[in-house]
Amino acid sequence: MSPMKRIENTVLTVLTLLAALVWIFPLYWTFVTSIRSDENVAGNTSILPDEFQLKAYLDAIFNTKLTVWYVNSIGTAVIVTVLVVLISMLCAYALSQIRFPGRRLLYGIVLGSFMVPAQTLVVTQFVLMNDLNLINSWAGIILPQLIAPVVIIVYKQFFDSVPKEMREAVVLDGGGEYTILFKVFLPLNWGITTAMSIVTFIGVWNAFFWPFLVVTSEDMMTIPVGITQVNDAFGVAYARLMAVAMLAALPVIVTYIIFQRRVTEAIMISSGVKG
Amino acid sequence: MGVRLTNVAKSFGSFQALKDVSMEIPTGSFAVFVGPSGCGKSTLLRMIAGLEETSGGQIAIDDRDVTAVEPADRQVAMVFQNYALYPHLSVFENMAFSLRLARRPKEEVNRRVQEAARILQLEDHLPKKPSQLSGGQRQRVAIGRAIVRQPKVFLFDEPLSNLDAELRVQMRLELTRLHRKLGATMIYVTHDQVEAMTLADRIFVLKGGVVQQAGAPLTLYDDPDNRFVAGFIGSPAMNFLPAVIEAREGERVTLRLEGGDHRFETQLAGDAALGQPVEIGVRPEHLQIADNGLPVQVEVAEELGDVSYLYARTATGREIVVQRQGSRDRLDGQTVQLSATPRNVLVFDAGGARLR
Repeated sequence: MSPMKRIENTVLTVLTLLAALVWIFPLYWTFVTSIRSDENVAGNTSILPDEFQLKAYLDAIFNTKLTVWYVNSIGTAVIVTVLVVLISMLCAYALSQIRFPGRRLLYGIVLGSFMVPAQTLVVTQFVLMNDLNLINSWAGIILPQLIAPVVIIVYKQFFDSVPKEMREAVVLDGGGEYTILFKVFLPLNWGITTAMSIVTFIGVWNAFFWPFLVVTSEDMMTIPVGITQVNDAFGVAYARLMAVAMLAALPVIVTYIIFQRRVTEAIMISSGVKG
Repeated sequence: MGVRLTNVAKSFGSFQALKDVSMEIPTGSFAVFVGPSGCGKSTLLRMIAGLEETSGGQIAIDDRDVTAVEPADRQVAMVFQNYALYPHLSVFENMAFSLRLARRPKEEVNRRVQEAARILQLEDHLPKKPSQLSGGQRQRVAIGRAIVRQPKVFLFDEPLSNLDAELRVQMRLELTRLHRKLGATMIYVTHDQVEAMTLADRIFVLKGGVVQQAGAPLTLYDDPDNRFVAGFIGSPAMNFLPAVIEAREGERVTLRLEGGDHRFETQLAGDAALGQPVEIGVRPEHLQIADNGLPVQVEVAEELGDVSYLYARTATGREIVVQRQGSRDRLDGQTVQLSATPRNVLVFDAGGARLR
């Protein structure tokens, strides 16, 4: 390696490390705050952990509805993930493989909906859910989150890339659409389904805006919404708040550590970097 | 009759890919559809398979009208150019796929896959995935997948195109042996006239969605119906030279080449008007170097040992290929004279139809 190249690599490594530090610092600060006592939080500017206690965690677990929110979050995330992947896969398969009138228009609508920011739809969705009496209901939380054009687009790209002879071979072998999709196309690349499931799960787990709007009952809140309820009569209890935040982030962190490569791949696939 | 097509047509919008195609392929024969890209040969095969709907006409397999029958119920099996193997399944499972879909008993699946594997010498590869096999082995698996279905008709869509030259020759031989062993009706699509000549009992030459000529390989070679078939079958291709009919005495006809005063003689039984512009066709191996003949300048000589090809040009700039057996003469850059015996000189009218 030439000296210039070595310097270039070192500079790039240092810059990447600095960027990583900027990203990791809030998580670190949350953790450090969560292991301090509430009295020691205010005005404490020490970066290093000067105290280690789990009172805030125990407090969060036993004196808030954290476990209920956890169950709600897991339930919502699993249901939405399964439904999003299944519906989007079927939709993409139809758009890619079945010839029917209006196919292009339908795909145009899917692409169009991808370009509309979710926030612009919130009022309409809220009014609709209200008219359907779905505020403060599981259906109200789940239904609007099932719209995932990016998953449809990724699946369609994948189905489009499968050679048409593969489909024809199954047809000649006596298989129908179910066989083509579930016994041949999907097993060709489980990576796509895994990636889409991970991205959807993380997205739903972290979703705050919609669940915050549609749920007012504390018993139906998901973790990100529940965090807003972690205060006491004297105001915000920062250590406890940070402990809940740490526990809320835990599944995502664990998922990331276990499926690190898959998550990176999923983000690349859904952002169009990798097809 | 193995396969019978009656006035079959296919249109894609305003484009007519196949026009009124009728043919009969006897049971147990090996038919080859050959023609240039876009001639409709693959479309025709796909229509027999049921993968393309017909725009008109009737398709019958074993005397049963299958025009509106689903592909899986036509009792045909197809081998694709890119093999279309299921990459996530083992060789065994690839071959067993159709039987499992048909819910055949386990013992029968096992027996039929093992039998196909034995015929194709794939026994050792059954547990492997397609990605672990060579191109030739993959093609054999694709054929095996067709064999286990015990179809009435095997359809091959340019199955050897992805293989290298040596393997292609080997697979060609294997296909011939397989056809003899199974005795099944086989229809094979290719753009390679050598494959067509070596494999077929009967060749169908297509151009522009129309069957130009059908017949045994050597019939097409020796006695083509038109200029297209004459030029397409044979490698190197037949030489064509514009001429006019100068004189006629009974069946004996004298043709004068355009732009010169050299003449060829041939025999024609049918009508041919004096002064009629025609094209004469002579195969490279039917041209001899003679003392008195058409003078040509040899530009390149390809010496292959047993045979040599002379690429020459006439005084009017027409390219001519001459095939010589066992010659060791170096003729590059030399002027030689060419002649042909009358029975080897074919004549085509201005529309390309053969004059006989």
